[in-house]
Amino acid sequence: MTPWLRRQRALADYTLSALGRRKGKNISLVVIYALIVFLVASIMMFSSGMRREADLVLSEAPELIVQQLTLGRHELIAGGEVEKLAAIRGVTAAKGRLWGYYYDRLNGANYTVMVPDDPTIKLEQGQAILGEAIPRSRGLSWEGAPLFLSRFEGDLVKFDVVDTLSHDSALVSADLMLITEQDFRDFFGLEPDVYTDISVSIRNEREIATIIAKAEKVMPKARFVTRADISRTYQKLFDWREGLLVTLAIAAILAFGIFAAEKASGLSAEETREIGILKAIGWDTGDVIAMKLWEGALVSVGAFLTGAVAAYVHVFLGGAGLFAPVLKGWSVLYPDFALTPQIDVLQLTTLFLVTVLPYVAATLVPIWRVATGDPDQVMR
Amino acid sequence: MITLSAVTKLYNEGRPNQMAALDGIDLTVPGDAVTVLTGPSGSGKTTLLSLIGCMARPTSGRVHLNGDMVSGLPESFLTGLRRTTFGFVFQRFNLVRGLSVIENVRLPAVPLGPDHVELTERAMARLEHLGLADKADIPVEYLSGGETQRAAIARALINDAPILIADEPTANLDTVLVNRFLDIVADLRAEGRTVIMTSHDPRIFTASLVDNVVRMVDGRLDTEEAPA
Repeated sequence: MTPWLRRQRALADYTLSALGRRKGKNISLVVIYALIVFLVASIMMFSSGMRREADLVLSEAPELIVQQLTLGRHELIAGGEVEKLAAIRGVTAAKGRLWGYYYDRLNGANYTVMVPDDPTIKLEQGQAILGEAIPRSRGLSWEGAPLFLSRFEGDLVKFDVVDTLSHDSALVSADLMLITEQDFRDFFGLEPDVYTDISVSIRNEREIATIIAKAEKVMPKARFVTRADISRTYQKLFDWREGLLVTLAIAAILAFGIFAAEKASGLSAEETREIGILKAIGWDTGDVIAMKLWEGALVSVGAFLTGAVAAYVHVFLGGAGLFAPVLKGWSVLYPDFALTPQIDVLQLTTLFLVTVLPYVAATLVPIWRVATGDPDQVMR
Repeated sequence: MITLSAVTKLYNEGRPNQMAALDGIDLTVPGDAVTVLTGPSGSGKTTLLSLIGCMARPTSGRVHLNGDMVSGLPESFLTGLRRTTFGFVFQRFNLVRGLSVIENVRLPAVPLGPDHVELTERAMARLEHLGLADKADIPVEYLSGGETQRAAIARALINDAPILIADEPTANLDTVLVNRFLDIVADLRAEGRTVIMTSHDPRIFTASLVDNVVRMVDGRLDTEEAPA
């Protein structure tokens, strides 16, 4: 072991013994510190997990959605437009989509009712596939329980639930209800050969702008929504929610700031005396500061690691019970799914820097002031 | 040998509460001897001891250690001297509360980054020599007055300093403990160490092993009462 390492080891050894003397105070400090790191890290991990989840789900979405607009509002689109779009070079396929919303008065939730465009999904008339939140909120706990929907007083439409969508896509499918095209048109009273919008698959994603330019000539009144646009909307939504929680966390960080400032504003008489003794027996200012750096590092890094690991466990293993209601889902229907564990190193590093460095710096200033004093004060 | 020439020490210099703790001290403290600085409270004994021990610098005048001027050295050099040349026993012993006896004894060596096992062995040997080996692991606040003093001496000697500086080492100790302290000083002398201490305890400055008594009054040397 080099002399430098031996010195650091000896300083760390002493620091640990010194910390052990004020167990109660130091443990409470670490606990408060770790709680704040836990709070902020949970929010960060959860939000970045959600964003990644949204991207994963959207990766299977069509490259382009074309919607008809009337008076600036989304309008039904005629089936004839599908062929026009499909004829554009670079377009692999264009399909009319049918989807709408159904407000369920029983649970106050909005369902997204949709005709699946995935040919592997086999549905027969009177059958439905539901997002995982719908049977949960309607209490359809037993297998094969039918779903009854009422559009108006005295109306009742029955659907046999043949499947429930997997948790993996729950972020965007929690409130989804898939039914056949005929059922959809009957349920909403829709004319044949009209669609809600058109999904367009494009061979080369880099050509989207060109294809949109061509499509705009064919359908000048339409709105073109790319997959990137949808992803951005999701990102903004989660950013906004994250911001909301971070605002709350700022209150906690402020409280901690006051706590740290109180510690930084002055050393206790005992600490001052101790530094005087160390200087008198042959420690120099650098030794005292190195020892206090060890102290700050042990407290703050210890608290940071505890908080960050607890946040990881909370978010990725414990389902983020504390924040889920705010960060995911829509008003009534909350998706129930586990996030894929992942760590954003940049985010974590930022959190480390904004929590550990100010603390160490704040505690170091008063130490430096005392440590640069004459050691003979201890003799007086 | 430590020589002080025209040494003055002012506290709160330039302020309304300025106070001259030492005023024009010319003194030679011989090496390889026991020197006691004595005098009434406020006579400047402790201030003089802290200048000798390189814990403070004089406001004016010079301090030489074995012929080298040390009074103008920067703080880091003074720290080095305090580590290697002087061992300190403070008036209230100033052990760090909450730490064990052995942790306190090891403290002066910590910044030197010594080998942990070797340092612990050295500290244990010191404690053994002073009859404190069985108390090595207990916190210092549980020690009696005499044990605290011996722990402080063990700490002062951990870096094998050739000069022991002690400020009122027997204040509040009974005669048995004073005699025990004098025995320890005799041992230190036998090891060839220089001992410089302040004391207004007659049991100390009249002891036979004391080679040199420096009397002080009001920050000056009291030459009229110089020892015979």
